Amino acid sequence: MEQLILELKEHLIEELNLEDITPEEIDAEAPLFGDGLGLDSIDALEIILILEKNYGVRLANTAEAKPVFYSVKTLAEYVMQNRK
Amino acid sequence: MRCFVGKIVTHEEVQSDLKQLIPDAALRRRMSRVVKMAVSTAVECLGGVAEIPRVDAILTATGWGCLADSEKFLRNLITEQEQLLNPTPFIQSTFNTVGGQIALLGHNHCYNLTYVNRSHSFEDALLDGMMRLADGESRRVLLGAFDEMIPSLETITRRMGWWRHHTAGEGSCFMTLTPEREADSVAQVVQLDFPIEELSAEECRVRYATTPDAELIYCDATYEELYPTRSAARFSEAVQRIKAGTKEVVLYNNCMGMRPTVLVLQWLG
Repeated sequence: MEQLILELKEHLIEELNLEDITPEEIDAEAPLFGDGLGLDSIDALEIILILEKNYGVRLANTAEAKPVFYSVKTLAEYVMQNRK
Repeated sequence: MRCFVGKIVTHEEVQSDLKQLIPDAALRRRMSRVVKMAVSTAVECLGGVAEIPRVDAILTATGWGCLADSEKFLRNLITEQEQLLNPTPFIQSTFNTVGGQIALLGHNHCYNLTYVNRSHSFEDALLDGMMRLADGESRRVLLGAFDEMIPSLETITRRMGWWRHHTAGEGSCFMTLTPEREADSVAQVVQLDFPIEELSAEECRVRYATTPDAELIYCDATYEELYPTRSAARFSEAVQRIKAGTKEVVLYNNCMGMRPTVLVLQWLG
């Protein structure tokens, strides 16, 4: 789980061009959108692609996106449960 | 039809830190190299993001557009077999990205247009600006030009023989234009003539110079460093000459395969 969280943080930094941020500085339990990393709807689309390209994980329905995309930890849990 | 040139800045003259010029981290992190180069030049020209709302037209010109993001998007299209395409390179690859980012930074929803007409792009944008000022539709125009070179384009065009006698170039240049002389005015554009037939340096001088002291900046196919909006940087050079004391500069642009253009700049008198 810890390794997956680190990997996800690295993907987020790389794909979202989070300048001057290291994986250690991202709190795995902090919100990704709004207050935390301050991501927006375009980033949400990029995260969908990160999950699909790297883990073969597809969101079955958009209603589940909000809790899944809450933090790096919730993303990691979703990947653990659904990866192929 | 004439207009006055206020502050003019090329990307080489940008002094301030990028984070200071573009404080919005969310906008900044999505910008490619050329977008950062052009937007930072624009903001430096205006003297800060807070000044963006003071312009009532944003005009940008580019011959090649945002090449790096266009290439990224097209490569993705091939490697991902038209599936799973990242939205950011597509959004950022459009030619009007720079104009849009300036507007977003300054929350300025004014007239905003990008001209993409190869080596006439800058002149077309300038003509639009001059017409808006002459018609009273704008009081302060932000006008800029930008182009970037990327390794793959340089390789392709080198194979085509473009760089036997020239160097592949890139750059950005922004300026403010007003209909009347302002405190920051440094020169005036008194004539913009295009397209015209090819002229020699002497013919140019005879046809356009109004004073024997006029200086000529003559850019033809033998000019050494090329990119489509190179004439904007030459325009900046003409303004610098006016600031240094020259009373009139005739700028002839005949680069990169379109018909020539002529601009005449004069001192403020």
